Amino acid sequence: MFLEDITLTFIAPCIADPEKIRLIAEVSTDISGVMPYLNAVMKNATYNRKGPSFTFMKEFRLVNLYPGKITMAKALNTTDAWQVLNWIKDMINDVYEKRDSIVPNYELRSKPTALQIYGWLPRKNCKECGEVTCLSFAVKLLLGEKSLGGCRLLFTPEYAEQRKTMLEIVAALGYETVEGLDSKTGYRTQ
Amino acid sequence: MGIYLDNAATSYPKPEAVYRAVDRFMREIGASSGRGAYRQALLADKVVFSAREALGKLFGIRDASRIVFTSNATESLNLAVKGLLKAGDHVVASSMEHNAVWRPLKRLEAERGIEITVAPCAKDGSLRPEDVIKAIRPNTRLVVMTHASNVTGTLLPVGEVGAAARDRGVLFLVDAAQTAGTCPIDAGTLGIDLLAFTGHKGLFGPTGTGGLYIREGVDLLPFKEGGTGGESILEHQPDHLPDRFEAGTLNISGIAGLLAGVDFILTEGIDRIRGKEKELTGHFLRALEIIPGIEVYGPKDPEKQVGVVSLNISGVMAQDVAYVLDEVYGVMVRSGLHCAPMAHRTIGTIDRGTVRFGIGYFNTIEEIDTMVQALAEIAGKTLTWK
Repeated sequence: MFLEDITLTFIAPCIADPEKIRLIAEVSTDISGVMPYLNAVMKNATYNRKGPSFTFMKEFRLVNLYPGKITMAKALNTTDAWQVLNWIKDMINDVYEKRDSIVPNYELRSKPTALQIYGWLPRKNCKECGEVTCLSFAVKLLLGEKSLGGCRLLFTPEYAEQRKTMLEIVAALGYETVEGLDSKTGYRTQ
Repeated sequence: MGIYLDNAATSYPKPEAVYRAVDRFMREIGASSGRGAYRQALLADKVVFSAREALGKLFGIRDASRIVFTSNATESLNLAVKGLLKAGDHVVASSMEHNAVWRPLKRLEAERGIEITVAPCAKDGSLRPEDVIKAIRPNTRLVVMTHASNVTGTLLPVGEVGAAARDRGVLFLVDAAQTAGTCPIDAGTLGIDLLAFTGHKGLFGPTGTGGLYIREGVDLLPFKEGGTGGESILEHQPDHLPDRFEAGTLNISGIAGLLAGVDFILTEGIDRIRGKEKELTGHFLRALEIIPGIEVYGPKDPEKQVGVVSLNISGVMAQDVAYVLDEVYGVMVRSGLHCAPMAHRTIGTIDRGTVRFGIGYFNTIEEIDTMVQALAEIAGKTLTWK
């Protein structure tokens, strides 16, 4: 097995959200070599070759991979943290196993900003999504805390173009499931 | 050293790794889980998480956070029943239930006005799924059933009942006190929404360990609130599992032992463990057939029961048989009602109880033969008294 063990070494409440936890874990193997392969298979990650580091969101959790350690923010509790660390371990081992059939990707892919996303939203501040403004919806969408389906206006014929762009962005971010919506047409299934 | 045949109460001995795991945890780690940021506390945390994962693997549960630790199956059953049922809810239970199910239900009947229907089992403890299904009403919230009787060892049809309950939108709670670690259990395949298990029987853990699996989407009210280590800023108990149900410091030294016990089972293989249990139980049942004056209860078929055999010797009180077995032959068994009076009403032994033999993975054919010899001698003497 490429990565045998992950050991938690630090845990503390999140600074921004004290109801959640942040942590540092050590990895038993240097994982920098696997990062370009991870970058090729994960669409929602940011790979920094110079670091090196590899950053992605696992739902609402922010995960950073470094050569000898993993950091995570916004985990629910230690059980949740361990589950995600085990998932990361399995994913790294799986990608390592299949590396011969993966073309490594060294490019630095960056996420769109909240302002860019705001630009593609209806910008009516209708509050139907539960947020006060479209900008706050954009921020939560980026964090994975809101799904695109929350924006009702976007799914009206008037916003067909923006909807197409937003569905592509959401898919690229790795938030593939838009609750209650057909992923191809973008229309509600019920 | 005598012959221990009370594994249905608590398994003994444990695999060597269990003793070592408890000792190692207490000496070398010893800290609370989920409470500290130093390495030793995080090691304690990993022990608890690994135990959850191992149990998940054993019971076919992918999300280990849905397994919460308790002190035994009784606590798990209380949590499930009391955390779920409200006034006006109807429950179906089998007539082989242990007091750990029956007493909480009777309390809720008195205090919350729940309604209970008992699905009758046959004299050998077996249950026809249709008798549970026809008891289901529009207001039935829960079907609760033991996987195997602690009195007769009879295996109940959990798969069929689970599927029927799921089809009808009724939740299904299984008491796996006698089967966790001795019979294959796959919570998803069997349609189990809530699985209560204890650590100190078939799972080879220390006493004071156990747990409850709560399927995603099933919401229970916790019956205790308190410290969970994380999310201390919240005034209310956190919603996330397992913290929602795990207030207070866990029995981590026990859980360390439980982890070693479950690892032992995963290594040996549950099918092999079940196979040996069937072999020993079948050998015992066949031998009992040739001893005059002994009445055996239950299906008398190792395919239809776990390693629990109940019997009586004609003309002798159950507790006297147990006493003589211990004093004269060094055989440790249990006598009485085994905390399941309803089961004794079902099999017709409410007035006298039974002598119960709990066969375990570490028993041997030789031990069974020694015990059979002892029973033959006791039964033979009582025949000459007449």
